[in-house]
Amino acid sequence: MAEGKDKGKLLEVKDLHVSFFTPAGEVKAVGGISYDLDYGEVMGVVGESGSGKSQEAYSIMGLLQSPGKVVGGSITFEGQDVLKFSKEEMTSFRGSKVAMIFQNPMTCLNPVYTIGNQLVEALRAHDKEISRENAEKRAMEMMEMVGINNVEKRMKQYPHEFSGGMRQRVMIAMGLICHPQLLIADEPTTALDVTIQAQILELMKELQKKTKMGIIFITHNLGVVADICDKVSVMYAGKIVEQGPVDDIFYKAAHPYTLGLLRSMPRVDADSYERLIPIEGTPVDMLNPPEGCPFAPRCEHCMKICLKKMPPYVEVGEKHRSACWLRVQEYLNQNSDGREEDGDEQ
Amino acid sequence: MRLLRSITKVRVIIMGKYVAKRLGMALVTIFLVTCLTFLLMNAVPGSPWLSEKAPSEATLAALNAKYGMDKPVHIQLLKYLQNLLKGDFGVSLKMQKNRAVLSIIGEMFPVSAKVGAIALCWAVLVGVPLGCLAAFKRGKLTDSILRVVCTLGISMPSFVVASILLVTFAGGIASLKIFPTIFDASAGWRSYVLPCFALGFYPMCYTARQTRSAMLDSLNQEFIKTARAKGLKNSKIIFKHALRNALIPVITYLGPQVAFTLCGGFVVESVFSIPGLGRYFVQSIQNRDYPVIMGTTVFLASFIILMNMVVDILYKIADPRIHLTKGGE
Amino acid sequence: MAEDKKMKRCPVTLQPDVEGMLSWNDFDADDFESASQEEKEDFIQERQSVSYWKDAWRRLKKNTVAMVALGVIIFLVLFAFVGPYLVPYGYEEFNKGAENLHPFHYALEDQKRLEAEIAARTQTDTMSVDDMIEQAKAEAEAKGEKLSNVEIAKIRAQAKVNTQNTKEEDAVDPEALLGELGIKKKLFGYSTAELERKAAGESVFPHVFGTDMYGRDILVRVMYGARVSMSVGICAAILVLCIGATYGAVSGYCGGKVDAVMQRIVEVIYSVPEMLVVLLIATALKPILTEYVNTGTGPIKSFVAVLGPNLISMFIAFGMLYWVTMSRIIRGQVLQLKQQEYVTAAKALGASGGRIIRRHLIPNCIGQIVVTTCLQIPSAIFLESFLSYLGVGVSAPLPSLGSMATDALSGMYTYTYRLIIPSMVLSVMILAFNLFGDGLRDALDPKLKK
Repeated sequence: MAEGKDKGKLLEVKDLHVSFFTPAGEVKAVGGISYDLDYGEVMGVVGESGSGKSQEAYSIMGLLQSPGKVVGGSITFEGQDVLKFSKEEMTSFRGSKVAMIFQNPMTCLNPVYTIGNQLVEALRAHDKEISRENAEKRAMEMMEMVGINNVEKRMKQYPHEFSGGMRQRVMIAMGLICHPQLLIADEPTTALDVTIQAQILELMKELQKKTKMGIIFITHNLGVVADICDKVSVMYAGKIVEQGPVDDIFYKAAHPYTLGLLRSMPRVDADSYERLIPIEGTPVDMLNPPEGCPFAPRCEHCMKICLKKMPPYVEVGEKHRSACWLRVQEYLNQNSDGREEDGDEQ
Repeated sequence: MRLLRSITKVRVIIMGKYVAKRLGMALVTIFLVTCLTFLLMNAVPGSPWLSEKAPSEATLAALNAKYGMDKPVHIQLLKYLQNLLKGDFGVSLKMQKNRAVLSIIGEMFPVSAKVGAIALCWAVLVGVPLGCLAAFKRGKLTDSILRVVCTLGISMPSFVVASILLVTFAGGIASLKIFPTIFDASAGWRSYVLPCFALGFYPMCYTARQTRSAMLDSLNQEFIKTARAKGLKNSKIIFKHALRNALIPVITYLGPQVAFTLCGGFVVESVFSIPGLGRYFVQSIQNRDYPVIMGTTVFLASFIILMNMVVDILYKIADPRIHLTKGGE
Repeated sequence: MAEDKKMKRCPVTLQPDVEGMLSWNDFDADDFESASQEEKEDFIQERQSVSYWKDAWRRLKKNTVAMVALGVIIFLVLFAFVGPYLVPYGYEEFNKGAENLHPFHYALEDQKRLEAEIAARTQTDTMSVDDMIEQAKAEAEAKGEKLSNVEIAKIRAQAKVNTQNTKEEDAVDPEALLGELGIKKKLFGYSTAELERKAAGESVFPHVFGTDMYGRDILVRVMYGARVSMSVGICAAILVLCIGATYGAVSGYCGGKVDAVMQRIVEVIYSVPEMLVVLLIATALKPILTEYVNTGTGPIKSFVAVLGPNLISMFIAFGMLYWVTMSRIIRGQVLQLKQQEYVTAAKALGASGGRIIRRHLIPNCIGQIVVTTCLQIPSAIFLESFLSYLGVGVSAPLPSLGSMATDALSGMYTYTYRLIIPSMVLSVMILAFNLFGDGLRDALDPKLKK
C-alpha cells in the first residue's frame, strides 16, 4: 500500500453520473458516485442488480452501450481524464492499461476462433511488433499461469471444448496478457459452480499478489468480497451508500442496507431453525428516482427526513463513510453536545 | 495425441451420418414430388392427343398402347419411375414432337444455369456488404434507406423488375437504349446485364436483409464486448469477429435462394426471350405438353432439393460448434 | 473550533458535506421521527404498469415507416373495395370509341390546331401529279413534240417517288410539333367522342389510367385487380394460419413420438420447392376443376365456379405447402412456453390439456401468430401475381394485377403505362404489407433485434 503514495492514485472517480436515454425516459443508472483506488488495491463493489455497479465499471472502459451515456463527473486514471480520450487513445487504453472480465464465460469467447487465436489477438492489438512465435509463447505462458494444463493442445482448441471454469481462466489470461494496471472483474464467479468459484478466487488472489495490479471486483455476493477485497463500496440505486475497509463493513456496518445484506446471508454457524431475514420491498424504479434516500421505503429505521432529502456522507471511521440520516442524527447529537460545551466555553 | 485422433474420427463419423441422413431425406422428397407430379398429370382429364384433330377410336387405342397409357395408374407410375432411373424422361408430345425430354433439358438448362449463377453471384457479392453497412450504421439514415430499398426489392415480383428494366434501358426511353431487347448469347456480355440484374435483384435484397439481421445478432453477442474490452480496433471487431459469425447463417439462406432464382428465372427468361429451361417450362404449361411439364418439374425439383441438401451440409461444416455435439440438429 | 475543523475532513463528493448542514436551521423537530408505513408507501411512485398490448401499440405508433405503411394499406383497401363504386365504368365494359387511350389527352381545340398545322406543312410544295403531267405536256407542245405514254408513266412514277421521299424527309413529326405549338398534355384520358360530349356540357368521368385495347377502363380494372390480390392474400394467410397454427401447437404440445413424426413430415414438405409444385398443381388442377364445374352439381360446384378453378387450385396448393413456416414458429413457441413454470403450476392445479393450450399457450403466442400471418399476406399476393403472370392464376374475366401485366407486355413500348401502373400498384401493395409486418414484429417482440 505504501508504494502507491508516491505515484498518486491509480483511479479516481469523482461524482460520476451515467444515464440511459430510453424511449420511456431518462434512466439515471448511476447518480453521482465517487471513489478512488490505489495501486495494488482490491476494491469490491457490492449491490443488487440494477444498482448501477456494472454500468460505472463500463464507463471506466468506455464500454457503455447506447443509449447509455456519461452525463457528468470525471474518471481519472493515472492522472489522465479517461472521459476525454479520443477513439484511438481509448482503443489502446483498453486491454493494455485496464482489462475487464465478464460474468458469463460461455458467451464471452468467440466460438469460431481457437483460444490461441484469441489470446494472440489480445496481445498483438497492443504490441504491434511482436512476432507470431513470441506471441504464442507469451499466450502459453499466460495459460500456464492461470492453471491450464496441456497448453500446447489447448491453444488449438475452440471455446466450446473448454469447461466453464476453464473458460473463465482463459478470460483472465486474456485480460492479463498485456499486464494491465487495473483489472475490472464484473461478477466473474456468479455463473460458476461453487467449487470452481473458490478456485477462480484463489487464482485471482494469487495473481494479484504476483502482479500487484489493482482490482475492482463487482459482485452481489458479500462472501466473495470478504475473501479477496481490501475495501468495499456498497451501492444502492446508483449511489454508493457505504464505503470503507472490508473489516469495517463487515463488523461495523453503518448503513441499514449493508446490515440488511449481512443479515440475509445464510451462515454456516447459524442455528438451523433461524429464519433468513430478507430485505423487504423491491428495488427502486430508476426512471423516476425519488428525492430523499432511495432505500427509505425498505428501511426499518426510516424517518420523515429520509423521505425528503438525500442524506450526506458521514465519516464513521477511518476512511469509512456512510450516507444515512441515522448517522447524521448521531453526528448532530454528538456535535450539539460539543457545541454546547464550546459555546459554554466561549 | 490419441485423444486428438479419436476426436477427429468422431467428427468424421458424425458428419458422415449426417450426410447419409440428409441424402436419404432428399431422395424421399424427390420420390414424393415425382409421384405427385405423375398422379397430377394423370388426373388431368382428356389426353394429350385431344386438342388435335380428334383421332378415331382405333388410333386412340393404338396411341395409348404405344405410350403405355392404357394400363392402371400404379403400373404406369412404376414404369415412369423405372424410366426415370434409366434417364428416360419421356418425349415431348406437342412442342417438339418425339424429342426426348432429357435432351431438351440438356440443351436448355445450361443457359438458365449460367444466367442464374451470374445473378446469384452478384446478389451475394453486393447483398452481403450492403447488409453489413446497414447493420453498422443502424438507426441512421443510411440504414433506413437501405432497409426500405431492400424491402422494396423483395416486394417487387421479378416480372415487374424485368419489365421496368426492359422498358427503361432497352426500348422505351430512346436515349437509354444501351442494352439489347432480345437475348443473344453470342453477342457478348451486354445481353447478360439486364436479365442477370433482374433475376438477382430479389436475392440481393433478401440477402442484404438477412445479413443485416445476422450482423446485428452477431454484434449483440457477448464476445463482441470482450473484443472491445481487449482494445481491438473497430474494423477488426466487425470484420474478424462479427462478420465471420454472421456469415454462417448466410449459407443457410442460400439454399432457398437457389430455388427462387430458378423459379424467378421462368419469368425473366420469358420477358427477355432467353432460350432457357424456364421459358420452355412456361411454354409447356401454356401448351399443356405434359411429359415436358413432368420431366422438367422432376428435374428442377431434384436439383433444388439436392442443392438445399448441399447447403445444409456446408452449414454444418462451417460451424465448428456442431462437430462435437451429437447429431447437430 | 478545532472540532469543527476535524469534522470538515470529508471525502470529496458532491453530496453535501455534513459540515455545511450544521448551519442549517431548517431541521424540524420531528424530522428525525420515524416515518409511518403510509408515508413510505406514498413515497414510492409506482410506474404505471402498461399492458403488453398498450406497450406494443405505443412502440408501433412511434415507428413512422410502419404507420405510413398502415396508411397505405388502408388507402389501398378503400381503393380496391370502395373505389369501383365511384367510377362509372365496369371492369368488363368495352367503351366503344375509347380504345387505347393513354392516361393523358389533348384538348379538342388543341387537336384541331395540330391537325391544321400538319395539313398546312405537308402540302407546301407538292403539286398534284395531274398538274405535273399537264405542265409536261405543255412543255412538249411548246417544243413541237407530243408526250409519249412512256414519259407520262415516268412522270407519274417520279412523282410517286417524290411523294414518298417527301413523306420521309419533310414529314411533320407530330411530337415535335406539339412542342412547337406549345400544346400541353392534359391529365386523364378522354376519347374524342367523350371530349365532344364534355364540350356539350355533359360530365364525363375521365379514364384516369387510360384504357386498354378493348376500351376497358384501366383504373377500374386495377381496382378490381387489387381487390382480387388482397382478398387472395388475406384468405390464403388465414388458411395458412389455421392449418399451421393447429399443426404446430399440437405437435409442440404433445411432444415425444407424435412430435417426432409430425416434424419429419414437416421437414419433407419444407424441402419441396414450393413455387414449382404450386405451379404444377395449379396447371394440373385447372382442367380438372373446369370439368368439375361443367359437370358437377351442388353448392360446392357453384362455389368453385364463382371463384374460378385457378384460384381454388391456388388455394389448395397454398394450403398444402405454405403452412410449414407457421407451424414451425408456433411449435417453437409452444415448446418454449411448455417449459415455463406457470404451465407446470396450471397442470398441478389440474387444468386439462385443452385449457392449458387455450388459456396459457395461445395468448402468449399471439404476438408471433399475428406477425407471421401479416407477413404471409405479401407472400400470397406475390405468388398469386406470379401465377397470374404465367397464365395459371385468376381466370378471365376477373382482372388480376399479374395478368394485366402479362397482357401489357405485347404493347410494352408504345403503351408503357399499361405495364407500369398495375406493376406499381402491386409492388406498393406488397411493400406496404411487408413494412407493416416488419413494424409489427419490432413492436410485439422488443427482444428481437431492431
